[in-house]
Amino acid sequence: MADTIDAYSIQNWLESCPQSYLMDTEYGHGPEEKEPDFILDNEVVLEETIKATVQLVVGERCALSASSGLINAAPDEASRRFLATQTLDEARHVEVFTHRLYDLGVKKQDLEGTIQRYANPNLVKFAEILLEKVDRKDFVSGVVGQNIVLEGMAFSVFEMMHAMNEPVNAKFAHTLSGTIADERRHVGFGENRIGSLIQQHPEKRPEVEQMQKEMSYFMLATFADAFRNNQTANELEAAGIERPHSEYQGVDLGTMEPEEMEQVLADTVLKEFKTRLGRIGIEYQTPARP
Amino acid sequence: MGTAPVREVHDLEHERFLEEVHSFEFWFHSVEGYLSGTTYGHREETVDDSPSGAVDRQHLITVLSNYCIGEMAALEGASGLIAIAPNQLTKIFLSTQVADEGRHLEVLLHRMRDLGVKYPAQEADRRASRGLKQFRHELLRLVQGRDWEAAIFAQNVILESLEFAVFRAHAEGADPVTKEILDGIIKDERRHIGFGENELGRRLHAAPHVRTRLARVREELDHLILDMLEDSSREIGVEPDRKAELARAYLQSVERLGFT
Repeated sequence: MADTIDAYSIQNWLESCPQSYLMDTEYGHGPEEKEPDFILDNEVVLEETIKATVQLVVGERCALSASSGLINAAPDEASRRFLATQTLDEARHVEVFTHRLYDLGVKKQDLEGTIQRYANPNLVKFAEILLEKVDRKDFVSGVVGQNIVLEGMAFSVFEMMHAMNEPVNAKFAHTLSGTIADERRHVGFGENRIGSLIQQHPEKRPEVEQMQKEMSYFMLATFADAFRNNQTANELEAAGIERPHSEYQGVDLGTMEPEEMEQVLADTVLKEFKTRLGRIGIEYQTPARP
Repeated sequence: MGTAPVREVHDLEHERFLEEVHSFEFWFHSVEGYLSGTTYGHREETVDDSPSGAVDRQHLITVLSNYCIGEMAALEGASGLIAIAPNQLTKIFLSTQVADEGRHLEVLLHRMRDLGVKYPAQEADRRASRGLKQFRHELLRLVQGRDWEAAIFAQNVILESLEFAVFRAHAEGADPVTKEILDGIIKDERRHIGFGENELGRRLHAAPHVRTRLARVREELDHLILDMLEDSSREIGVEPDRKAELARAYLQSVERLGFT
Protein backbone atom coordinates (compact mmCIF):
# COMPACT_ATOMS: atom_id res chain seq x y z
CA MET A 1 0.00 0.00 0.00
CA ALA A 2 2.81 2.40 0.90
CA ASP A 3 4.42 1.78 -2.51
CA THR A 4 1.11 2.45 -4.22
CA ILE A 5 0.72 5.70 -2.29
CA ASP A 6 4.25 6.76 -3.17
CA ALA A 7 3.64 5.97 -6.84
CA TYR A 8 0.71 8.39 -6.87
CA SER A 9 2.29 11.10 -4.73
CA ILE A 10 2.87 14.67 -5.82
CA GLN A 11 6.58 14.09 -5.25
CA ASN A 12 6.41 11.30 -7.82
CA TRP A 13 4.53 13.60 -10.21
CA LEU A 14 7.22 16.27 -9.83
CA GLU A 15 9.94 13.73 -10.55
CA SER A 16 8.22 11.99 -13.45
CA CYS A 17 6.62 14.81 -15.45
CA PRO A 18 8.65 18.04 -15.22
CA GLN A 19 11.92 16.19 -15.29
CA SER A 20 11.07 13.89 -18.19
CA TYR A 21 8.44 14.33 -20.87
CA LEU A 22 7.54 17.95 -20.14
CA MET A 23 11.18 18.97 -20.23
CA ASP A 24 11.87 21.69 -22.82
CA THR A 25 8.27 22.00 -23.93
CA GLU A 26 6.02 25.02 -24.31
CA TYR A 27 2.32 24.32 -24.37
CA GLY A 28 3.15 20.64 -24.74
CA HIS A 29 5.47 20.80 -27.76
CA GLY A 30 8.90 22.02 -28.76
CA PRO A 31 9.16 25.82 -29.04
CA GLU A 32 10.14 25.55 -32.73
CA GLU A 33 7.44 23.07 -33.76
CA LYS A 34 4.60 24.44 -35.92
CA GLU A 35 1.34 23.18 -37.43
CA PRO A 36 2.03 21.97 -40.99
CA ASP A 37 1.03 23.95 -44.09
CA PHE A 38 -1.29 21.26 -45.46
CA ILE A 39 -3.60 22.00 -42.51
CA LEU A 40 -3.22 25.77 -42.37
CA ASP A 41 -3.52 26.29 -46.15
CA ASN A 42 -6.61 24.18 -46.81
CA GLU A 43 -9.91 25.61 -45.49
CA VAL A 44 -11.69 22.26 -45.28
CA VAL A 45 -8.84 20.44 -43.54
CA LEU A 46 -8.36 23.41 -41.21
CA GLU A 47 -12.01 23.41 -40.18
CA GLU A 48 -11.99 19.64 -39.61
CA THR A 49 -8.85 20.01 -37.51
CA ILE A 50 -10.41 22.79 -35.45
CA LYS A 51 -13.53 20.67 -35.00
CA ALA A 52 -11.49 17.67 -33.82
CA THR A 53 -9.45 19.85 -31.43
CA VAL A 54 -12.64 21.32 -29.95
CA GLN A 55 -13.71 17.79 -28.95
CA LEU A 56 -10.41 17.41 -27.13
CA VAL A 57 -10.96 20.67 -25.22
CA VAL A 58 -14.52 19.59 -24.34
CA GLY A 59 -13.30 16.19 -23.12
CA GLU A 60 -10.49 17.73 -21.07
CA ARG A 61 -12.78 20.35 -19.54
CA CYS A 62 -15.00 17.51 -18.40
CA ALA A 63 -11.96 15.68 -16.97
CA LEU A 64 -10.87 18.85 -15.14
CA SER A 65 -14.32 19.30 -13.59
CA ALA A 66 -14.50 15.63 -12.64
CA SER A 67 -11.03 15.27 -11.12
CA SER A 68 -11.28 18.49 -9.11
CA GLY A 69 -14.84 17.66 -8.06
CA LEU A 70 -13.80 14.22 -6.84
CA ILE A 71 -11.14 15.57 -4.46
CA ASN A 72 -13.68 16.51 -1.84
CA ALA A 73 -15.41 13.14 -2.22
CA ALA A 74 -12.22 11.06 -1.82
CA PRO A 75 -12.18 8.78 1.21
CA ASP A 76 -8.45 9.11 1.97
CA GLU A 77 -5.65 11.66 1.81
CA ALA A 78 -3.52 9.77 -0.70
CA SER A 79 -6.39 9.71 -3.21
CA ARG A 80 -6.96 13.42 -2.68
CA ARG A 81 -3.35 14.19 -3.41
CA PHE A 82 -3.29 12.02 -6.50
CA LEU A 83 -6.44 13.74 -7.75
CA ALA A 84 -4.70 17.07 -7.12
CA THR A 85 -1.99 16.05 -9.63
CA GLN A 86 -4.65 14.79 -12.01
CA THR A 87 -6.49 18.12 -11.75
CA LEU A 88 -3.25 19.84 -12.72
CA ASP A 89 -2.70 17.42 -15.63
CA GLU A 90 -6.22 17.99 -16.94
CA ALA A 91 -5.82 21.75 -16.67
CA ARG A 92 -2.61 21.44 -18.67
CA HIS A 93 -4.44 19.43 -21.33
CA VAL A 94 -7.19 22.06 -21.53
CA GLU A 95 -4.50 24.69 -21.93
CA VAL A 96 -2.42 22.92 -24.60
CA PHE A 97 -5.44 22.00 -26.73
CA THR A 98 -6.81 25.53 -26.37
CA HIS A 99 -3.46 26.85 -27.55
CA ARG A 100 -3.67 24.53 -30.51
CA LEU A 101 -6.94 26.20 -31.44
CA TYR A 102 -5.16 29.55 -31.31
CA ASP A 103 -2.35 28.12 -33.45
CA LEU A 104 -5.02 27.02 -35.94
CA GLY A 105 -6.21 30.60 -36.20
CA VAL A 106 -9.08 30.74 -33.69
CA LYS A 107 -9.17 34.24 -32.17
CA LYS A 108 -9.07 34.39 -28.39
CA GLN A 109 -12.35 36.29 -28.26
CA ASP A 110 -13.97 33.56 -30.41
CA LEU A 111 -12.82 30.63 -28.27
CA GLU A 112 -16.08 29.99 -26.41
CA GLY A 113 -18.15 30.56 -29.56
CA THR A 114 -16.00 28.12 -31.52
CA ILE A 115 -16.33 25.51 -28.78
CA GLN A 116 -20.09 25.96 -28.65
CA ARG A 117 -20.39 25.73 -32.42
CA TYR A 118 -18.38 22.53 -32.83
CA ALA A 119 -18.81 20.64 -29.54
CA ASN A 120 -20.37 17.30 -30.37
CA PRO A 121 -23.74 16.96 -28.53
CA ASN A 122 -23.05 13.27 -27.89
CA LEU A 123 -19.76 14.10 -26.22
CA VAL A 124 -21.53 16.72 -24.11
CA LYS A 125 -24.08 14.09 -23.06
CA PHE A 126 -21.22 11.67 -22.26
CA ALA A 127 -19.73 14.36 -20.00
CA GLU A 128 -23.04 15.14 -18.33
CA ILE A 129 -23.50 11.53 -17.23
CA LEU A 130 -20.13 11.58 -15.51
CA LEU A 131 -20.48 15.04 -13.97
CA GLU A 132 -23.85 14.14 -12.50
CA LYS A 133 -22.08 11.41 -10.46
CA VAL A 134 -19.36 13.86 -9.46
CA ASP A 135 -21.92 16.46 -8.36
CA ARG A 136 -23.46 13.84 -6.08
CA LYS A 137 -19.99 13.18 -4.60
CA ASP A 138 -20.27 9.54 -5.67
CA PHE A 139 -16.58 8.68 -5.53
CA VAL A 140 -16.76 5.10 -6.78
CA SER A 141 -18.92 5.88 -9.83
CA GLY A 142 -17.00 9.10 -10.43
CA VAL A 143 -13.60 7.44 -10.49
CA VAL A 144 -14.79 4.59 -12.74
CA GLY A 145 -16.43 7.11 -15.08
CA GLN A 146 -13.45 9.42 -15.05
CA ASN A 147 -10.37 7.24 -14.70
CA ILE A 148 -11.53 4.11 -16.51
CA VAL A 149 -14.16 5.22 -19.07
CA LEU A 150 -13.22 8.81 -19.94
CA GLU A 151 -9.47 8.35 -19.55
CA GLY A 152 -9.58 4.96 -21.26
CA MET A 153 -11.35 6.53 -24.22
CA ALA A 154 -8.94 9.49 -24.27
CA PHE A 155 -5.96 7.16 -24.10
CA SER A 156 -7.02 5.20 -27.20
CA VAL A 157 -8.16 8.27 -29.14
CA PHE A 158 -4.86 10.03 -28.42
CA GLU A 159 -2.89 6.94 -29.43
CA MET A 160 -4.73 6.74 -32.74
CA MET A 161 -4.32 10.46 -33.36
CA HIS A 162 -0.65 10.17 -32.44
CA ALA A 163 -0.15 7.39 -34.99
CA MET A 164 -1.85 9.48 -37.68
CA ASN A 165 0.05 12.67 -36.87
CA GLU A 166 3.53 11.39 -36.14
CA PRO A 167 4.68 11.20 -39.79
CA VAL A 168 3.13 14.54 -40.82
CA ASN A 169 2.72 16.78 -37.77
CA ALA A 170 5.55 16.49 -35.25
CA LYS A 171 4.16 19.36 -33.19
CA PHE A 172 0.78 17.81 -32.48
CA ALA A 173 2.27 14.33 -32.11
CA HIS A 174 4.58 15.77 -29.43
CA THR A 175 1.62 17.35 -27.60
CA LEU A 176 -0.26 14.05 -27.75
CA SER A 177 2.64 11.97 -26.45
CA GLY A 178 2.69 14.07 -23.25
CA THR A 179 -1.03 13.70 -22.72
CA ILE A 180 -0.85 9.95 -23.39
CA ALA A 181 1.77 9.63 -20.64
CA ASP A 182 -0.55 11.46 -18.25
CA GLU A 183 -3.58 9.37 -19.18
CA ARG A 184 -1.64 6.18 -18.56
CA ARG A 185 -1.02 7.32 -14.98
CA HIS A 186 -4.66 8.26 -14.47
CA VAL A 187 -5.98 4.94 -15.76
CA GLY A 188 -3.50 3.14 -13.49
CA PHE A 189 -4.77 5.01 -10.44
CA GLY A 190 -8.38 4.18 -11.35
CA GLU A 191 -7.63 0.49 -11.48
CA ASN A 192 -5.48 0.41 -8.36
CA ARG A 193 -7.63 2.49 -6.08
CA ILE A 194 -11.12 1.60 -7.15
CA GLY A 195 -10.78 -2.21 -7.09
CA SER A 196 -10.65 -2.31 -3.32
CA LEU A 197 -13.50 0.20 -3.01
CA ILE A 198 -15.71 -1.91 -5.29
CA GLN A 199 -15.02 -4.89 -3.02
CA GLN A 200 -16.07 -2.81 -0.02
CA HIS A 201 -19.19 -1.52 -1.80
CA PRO A 202 -20.53 -4.35 -3.99
CA GLU A 203 -23.94 -2.65 -3.95
CA LYS A 204 -22.47 0.02 -6.25
CA ARG A 205 -21.88 -2.43 -9.11
CA PRO A 206 -25.27 -2.15 -10.92
CA GLU A 207 -25.15 1.65 -10.91
CA VAL A 208 -21.55 1.73 -12.12
CA GLU A 209 -22.28 -0.81 -14.85
CA GLN A 210 -25.29 1.17 -16.06
CA MET A 211 -23.18 4.33 -16.15
CA GLN A 212 -20.49 2.57 -18.20
CA LYS A 213 -23.11 1.34 -20.67
CA GLU A 214 -24.62 4.81 -21.12
CA MET A 215 -21.28 6.60 -21.38
CA SER A 216 -20.07 3.99 -23.89
CA TYR A 217 -23.11 4.58 -26.09
CA PHE A 218 -22.51 8.34 -26.27
CA MET A 219 -18.80 7.72 -26.87
CA LEU A 220 -19.62 5.51 -29.87
CA ALA A 221 -22.08 8.11 -31.15
CA THR A 222 -19.33 10.73 -30.90
CA PHE A 223 -16.95 8.49 -32.86
CA ALA A 224 -19.63 7.92 -35.50
CA ASP A 225 -20.15 11.65 -35.99
CA ALA A 226 -16.43 12.35 -36.04
CA PHE A 227 -15.51 9.75 -38.66
CA ARG A 228 -18.59 9.53 -40.87
CA ASN A 229 -18.86 13.26 -41.52
CA ASN A 230 -15.16 13.96 -41.81
CA GLN A 231 -14.04 15.50 -45.11
CA THR A 232 -10.29 15.43 -44.41
CA ALA A 233 -9.46 12.22 -46.31
CA ASN A 234 -11.38 13.32 -49.43
CA GLU A 235 -9.86 16.77 -49.33
CA LEU A 236 -6.32 15.45 -49.01
CA GLU A 237 -6.94 13.07 -51.87
CA ALA A 238 -8.31 15.90 -54.03
CA ALA A 239 -5.25 17.97 -53.22
CA GLY A 240 -3.01 15.08 -54.22
CA ILE A 241 -1.61 14.63 -50.71
CA GLU A 242 -1.05 11.00 -49.82
CA ARG A 243 -2.29 9.96 -46.40
CA PRO A 244 0.51 8.56 -44.22
CA HIS A 245 0.62 4.79 -43.81
CA SER A 246 0.45 4.89 -40.03
CA GLU A 247 0.05 1.68 -38.15
CA TYR A 248 -2.46 1.46 -35.31
CA GLN A 249 -3.60 -1.78 -33.69
CA GLY A 250 -2.01 -3.74 -36.53
CA VAL A 251 -3.83 -1.95 -39.37
CA ASP A 252 -2.66 0.62 -41.93
CA LEU A 253 -4.68 3.78 -41.30
CA GLY A 254 -3.50 5.21 -44.62
CA THR A 255 -5.56 2.72 -46.62
CA MET A 256 -8.75 2.62 -44.53
CA GLU A 257 -12.10 4.25 -45.11
CA PRO A 258 -13.27 6.53 -42.24
CA GLU A 259 -15.96 4.01 -41.22
CA GLU A 260 -13.32 1.29 -40.95
CA MET A 261 -11.16 3.54 -38.79
CA GLU A 262 -14.17 4.25 -36.57
CA GLN A 263 -14.67 0.51 -36.18
CA VAL A 264 -11.04 -0.09 -35.22
CA LEU A 265 -11.10 2.69 -32.63
CA ALA A 266 -14.44 1.63 -31.14
CA ASP A 267 -13.36 -2.01 -30.89
CA THR A 268 -10.05 -1.01 -29.29
CA VAL A 269 -11.66 1.19 -26.65
CA LEU A 270 -14.41 -1.28 -25.79
CA LYS A 271 -11.91 -4.12 -25.51
CA GLU A 272 -9.82 -1.99 -23.15
CA PHE A 273 -12.91 -1.16 -21.08
CA LYS A 274 -13.73 -4.83 -20.76
CA THR A 275 -10.22 -5.70 -19.60
CA ARG A 276 -9.88 -2.81 -17.16
CA LEU A 277 -13.37 -3.15 -15.71
CA GLY A 278 -12.79 -6.88 -15.25
CA ARG A 279 -9.67 -6.08 -13.21
CA ILE A 280 -11.70 -4.02 -10.74
CA GLY A 281 -14.58 -6.49 -10.51
CA ILE A 282 -17.08 -4.68 -12.74
CA GLU A 283 -18.89 -6.59 -15.46
CA TYR A 284 -18.60 -4.82 -18.80
CA GLN A 285 -21.96 -3.91 -20.35
CA THR A 286 -22.20 -3.95 -24.13
CA PRO A 287 -23.61 -0.63 -25.31
CA ALA A 288 -26.09 -0.20 -28.15
CA ARG A 289 -24.41 0.72 -31.44
CA PRO A 290 -25.50 4.11 -32.77
CA MET B 1 11.44 21.42 -16.89
CA GLY B 2 11.14 23.82 -19.78
CA THR B 3 13.82 26.23 -20.78
CA ALA B 4 11.57 29.08 -21.88
CA PRO B 5 13.00 32.48 -20.98
CA VAL B 6 11.64 34.10 -17.85
CA ARG B 7 8.84 36.28 -19.07
CA GLU B 8 8.70 39.94 -18.13
CA VAL B 9 5.09 39.63 -17.16
CA HIS B 10 4.75 43.11 -15.74
CA ASP B 11 5.50 44.58 -19.16
CA LEU B 12 2.41 42.93 -20.62
CA GLU B 13 -0.91 44.69 -21.06
CA HIS B 14 -3.49 43.64 -18.45
CA GLU B 15 -5.43 40.92 -20.28
CA ARG B 16 -2.25 39.35 -21.58
CA PHE B 17 -0.72 39.60 -18.11
CA LEU B 18 -3.64 37.68 -16.57
CA GLU B 19 -3.49 35.07 -19.30
CA GLU B 20 0.19 34.59 -18.61
CA VAL B 21 0.15 34.44 -14.80
CA HIS B 22 -2.89 32.20 -14.62
CA SER B 23 -1.47 29.60 -16.98
CA PHE B 24 -0.04 26.17 -16.28
CA GLU B 25 3.05 27.24 -18.25
CA PHE B 26 3.72 30.13 -15.87
CA TRP B 27 3.25 27.92 -12.83
CA PHE B 28 5.52 25.29 -14.36
CA HIS B 29 8.38 27.73 -14.92
CA SER B 30 7.84 29.40 -11.52
CA VAL B 31 8.10 26.27 -9.40
CA GLU B 32 11.12 25.02 -11.30
CA GLY B 33 13.37 27.44 -9.45
CA TYR B 34 12.57 26.28 -5.96
CA LEU B 35 11.29 22.71 -6.28
CA SER B 36 13.90 21.34 -8.62
CA GLY B 37 16.21 18.99 -6.73
CA THR B 38 14.04 18.76 -3.63
CA THR B 39 12.40 15.70 -2.12
CA TYR B 40 9.29 16.30 -0.06
CA GLY B 41 10.04 20.01 0.06
CA HIS B 42 13.72 20.00 1.03
CA ARG B 43 17.10 19.10 -0.36
CA GLU B 44 18.30 15.67 0.67
CA GLU B 45 21.60 17.03 1.95
CA THR B 46 19.95 19.44 4.39
CA VAL B 47 20.83 18.36 7.92
CA ASP B 48 17.81 17.27 9.90
CA ASP B 49 18.36 19.19 13.12
CA SER B 50 14.82 18.71 14.40
CA PRO B 51 14.18 18.97 18.14
CA SER B 52 15.56 15.96 19.99
CA GLY B 53 13.79 16.62 23.27
CA ALA B 54 10.40 14.92 23.60
CA VAL B 55 8.55 18.08 24.62
CA ASP B 56 9.90 20.23 21.78
CA ARG B 57 9.31 17.43 19.30
CA GLN B 58 5.70 17.02 20.37
CA HIS B 59 5.33 20.77 20.19
CA LEU B 60 6.56 20.82 16.57
CA ILE B 61 4.22 17.95 15.69
CA THR B 62 1.28 19.95 17.04
CA VAL B 63 2.33 22.99 15.03
CA LEU B 64 2.62 20.88 11.88
CA SER B 65 -0.76 19.30 12.62
CA ASN B 66 -2.37 22.72 12.48
CA TYR B 67 -0.57 23.50 9.24
CA CYS B 68 -1.82 20.23 7.75
CA ILE B 69 -5.44 21.04 8.60
CA GLY B 70 -4.95 24.52 7.13
CA GLU B 71 -3.61 22.98 3.93
CA MET B 72 -6.42 20.42 3.83
CA ALA B 73 -8.88 23.30 4.04
CA ALA B 74 -6.99 25.06 1.25
CA LEU B 75 -6.99 21.91 -0.91
CA GLU B 76 -10.71 21.38 -0.40
CA GLY B 77 -11.42 25.06 -0.97
CA ALA B 78 -9.34 25.43 -4.13
CA SER B 79 -10.68 22.23 -5.70
CA GLY B 80 -14.27 23.24 -4.91
CA LEU B 81 -13.68 26.70 -6.36
CA ILE B 82 -12.85 25.24 -9.79
CA ALA B 83 -16.51 24.27 -10.22
CA ILE B 84 -17.68 27.87 -9.72
CA ALA B 85 -14.78 29.70 -11.38
CA PRO B 86 -16.11 32.17 -13.96
CA ASN B 87 -13.82 31.26 -16.86
CA GLN B 88 -11.20 28.86 -18.18
CA LEU B 89 -8.24 30.98 -17.08
CA THR B 90 -9.28 31.07 -13.45
CA LYS B 91 -10.05 27.34 -13.55
CA ILE B 92 -6.53 26.68 -14.79
CA PHE B 93 -4.95 28.91 -12.16
CA LEU B 94 -6.96 27.19 -9.43
CA SER B 95 -5.81 23.83 -10.76
CA THR B 96 -2.21 24.87 -10.19
CA GLN B 97 -3.24 26.01 -6.73
CA VAL B 98 -4.86 22.62 -6.07
CA ALA B 99 -1.55 20.96 -6.90
CA ASP B 100 0.31 23.43 -4.67
CA GLU B 101 -2.02 22.81 -1.72
CA GLY B 102 -1.81 19.06 -2.25
CA ARG B 103 1.98 19.35 -2.27
CA HIS B 104 1.97 21.39 0.93
CA LEU B 105 -0.19 18.81 2.63
CA GLU B 106 2.05 16.02 1.38
CA VAL B 107 5.34 17.58 2.53
CA LEU B 108 3.91 18.49 5.94
CA LEU B 109 2.51 14.99 6.47
CA HIS B 110 5.85 13.60 5.37
CA ARG B 111 7.63 15.86 7.86
CA MET B 112 5.38 14.54 10.63
CA ARG B 113 6.26 11.02 9.56
CA ASP B 114 9.96 11.97 9.77
CA LEU B 115 9.30 13.09 13.33
CA GLY B 116 7.97 9.64 14.20
CA VAL B 117 4.23 10.00 13.65
CA LYS B 118 2.90 6.76 12.21
CA TYR B 119 -0.49 8.01 11.00
CA PRO B 120 0.06 11.71 10.38
CA ALA B 121 -3.32 12.51 8.79
CA GLN B 122 -5.21 11.10 11.76
CA GLU B 123 -2.81 12.73 14.22
CA ALA B 124 -3.17 16.10 12.52
CA ASP B 125 -6.92 15.87 12.80
CA ARG B 126 -6.64 14.94 16.48
CA ARG B 127 -4.29 17.76 17.39
CA ALA B 128 -5.49 20.67 15.27
CA SER B 129 -7.13 23.62 16.97
CA ARG B 130 -10.89 23.98 17.13
CA GLY B 131 -10.70 27.46 15.59
CA LEU B 132 -8.93 26.13 12.52
CA LYS B 133 -11.47 23.36 12.09
CA GLN B 134 -14.23 25.92 12.41
CA PHE B 135 -12.56 28.05 9.72
CA ARG B 136 -12.30 25.01 7.43
CA HIS B 137 -16.01 24.42 7.91
CA GLU B 138 -16.88 28.06 7.15
CA LEU B 139 -14.68 28.12 4.04
CA LEU B 140 -16.33 25.01 2.64
CA ARG B 141 -19.74 26.47 3.41
CA LEU B 142 -18.91 29.48 1.24
CA VAL B 143 -17.56 27.27 -1.57
CA GLN B 144 -20.58 24.98 -1.48
CA GLY B 145 -22.82 28.05 -1.47
CA ARG B 146 -21.18 28.93 -4.82
CA ASP B 147 -20.35 32.42 -3.61
CA TRP B 148 -17.29 33.09 -5.77
CA GLU B 149 -16.22 36.44 -4.30
CA ALA B 150 -16.74 35.43 -0.67
CA ALA B 151 -15.02 32.06 -1.12
CA ILE B 152 -12.03 33.57 -2.94
CA PHE B 153 -11.82 36.21 -0.22
CA ALA B 154 -11.84 33.59 2.55
CA GLN B 155 -9.46 31.26 0.73
CA ASN B 156 -6.99 33.34 -1.28
CA VAL B 157 -6.90 36.45 0.87
CA ILE B 158 -7.72 35.53 4.47
CA LEU B 159 -6.45 31.94 4.77
CA GLU B 160 -3.44 32.38 2.49
CA SER B 161 -2.43 35.64 4.21
CA LEU B 162 -2.68 33.99 7.60
CA GLU B 163 -0.54 31.08 6.47
CA PHE B 164 1.92 33.44 4.78
CA ALA B 165 2.38 35.48 7.98
CA VAL B 166 2.64 32.47 10.29
CA PHE B 167 4.92 30.38 8.06
CA ARG B 168 7.26 33.31 7.54
CA ALA B 169 7.55 33.93 11.27
CA HIS B 170 8.04 30.22 11.96
CA ALA B 171 10.63 29.77 9.20
CA GLU B 172 12.87 32.39 10.85
CA GLY B 173 13.50 30.18 13.87
CA ALA B 174 12.78 26.71 12.52
CA ASP B 175 15.16 23.77 12.14
CA PRO B 176 16.78 23.66 8.65
CA VAL B 177 14.48 21.00 7.11
CA THR B 178 11.29 22.61 8.40
CA LYS B 179 12.57 26.01 7.28
CA GLU B 180 13.19 24.80 3.71
CA ILE B 181 9.76 23.22 3.57
CA LEU B 182 8.12 26.41 4.81
CA ASP B 183 10.16 28.64 2.48
CA GLY B 184 8.90 26.65 -0.51
CA ILE B 185 5.31 26.88 0.69
CA ILE B 186 5.62 30.64 1.27
CA LYS B 187 6.64 31.13 -2.37
CA ASP B 188 3.46 29.36 -3.49
CA GLU B 189 1.29 31.34 -1.05
CA ARG B 190 2.57 34.58 -2.52
CA ARG B 191 1.22 33.50 -5.93
CA HIS B 192 -2.14 32.51 -4.45
CA ILE B 193 -2.53 35.81 -2.58
CA GLY B 194 -1.67 37.70 -5.78
CA PHE B 195 -4.41 35.84 -7.63
CA GLY B 196 -6.97 36.58 -4.90
CA GLU B 197 -6.10 40.26 -4.70
CA ASN B 198 -6.15 40.65 -8.46
CA GLU B 199 -9.43 38.80 -8.93
CA LEU B 200 -11.20 40.62 -6.10
CA GLY B 201 -9.61 44.00 -6.78
CA ARG B 202 -11.13 44.07 -10.26
CA ARG B 203 -14.52 42.89 -9.03
CA LEU B 204 -14.63 45.39 -6.17
CA HIS B 205 -13.80 48.13 -8.62
CA ALA B 206 -16.54 47.05 -11.03
CA ALA B 207 -19.20 46.30 -8.38
CA PRO B 208 -18.66 48.25 -5.17
CA HIS B 209 -21.66 46.58 -3.46
CA VAL B 210 -19.59 43.39 -3.27
CA ARG B 211 -17.47 45.19 -0.67
CA THR B 212 -20.35 45.26 1.83
CA ARG B 213 -20.88 41.53 1.49
CA LEU B 214 -17.17 40.77 1.86
CA ALA B 215 -16.91 43.05 4.88
CA ARG B 216 -19.57 40.90 6.50
CA VAL B 217 -17.66 37.72 5.64
CA ARG B 218 -14.55 39.25 7.12
CA GLU B 219 -16.42 40.18 10.28
CA GLU B 220 -17.60 36.58 10.64
CA LEU B 221 -14.14 35.13 10.13
CA ASP B 222 -11.93 37.75 11.81
CA HIS B 223 -12.30 36.45 15.34
CA LEU B 224 -11.36 32.96 14.18
CA ILE B 225 -8.31 34.32 12.37
CA LEU B 226 -7.12 36.47 15.26
CA ASP B 227 -7.59 33.55 17.68
CA MET B 228 -5.62 31.32 15.32
CA LEU B 229 -2.88 33.94 15.04
CA GLU B 230 -2.71 34.11 18.82
CA ASP B 231 -2.50 30.30 19.10
CA SER B 232 0.04 30.03 16.31
CA SER B 233 2.23 32.80 17.77
CA ARG B 234 2.37 30.94 21.05
CA GLU B 235 3.03 27.57 19.41
CA ILE B 236 5.85 28.74 17.19
CA GLY B 237 7.41 30.81 19.98
CA VAL B 238 6.88 34.33 18.64
CA GLU B 239 7.99 36.89 21.23
CA PRO B 240 5.05 38.87 22.67
CA ASP B 241 6.26 42.13 21.14
CA ARG B 242 6.29 40.52 17.68
CA LYS B 243 2.75 39.18 17.90
CA ALA B 244 1.34 42.53 16.86
CA GLU B 245 3.68 42.51 13.87
CA LEU B 246 2.31 39.14 12.81
CA ALA B 247 -1.27 40.36 13.10
CA ARG B 248 -0.32 43.46 11.13
CA ALA B 249 1.15 41.36 8.32
CA TYR B 250 -2.17 39.56 8.01
CA LEU B 251 -4.24 42.74 8.27
CA GLN B 252 -2.19 44.50 5.60
CA SER B 253 -3.31 42.02 2.97
CA VAL B 254 -7.00 42.68 3.61
CA GLU B 255 -6.29 46.41 3.81
CA ARG B 256 -4.76 46.29 0.34
CA LEU B 257 -8.27 45.49 -0.89
CA GLY B 258 -9.64 48.51 0.94
CA PHE B 259 -10.91 46.77 4.08
CA THR B 260 -9.84 48.65 7.19
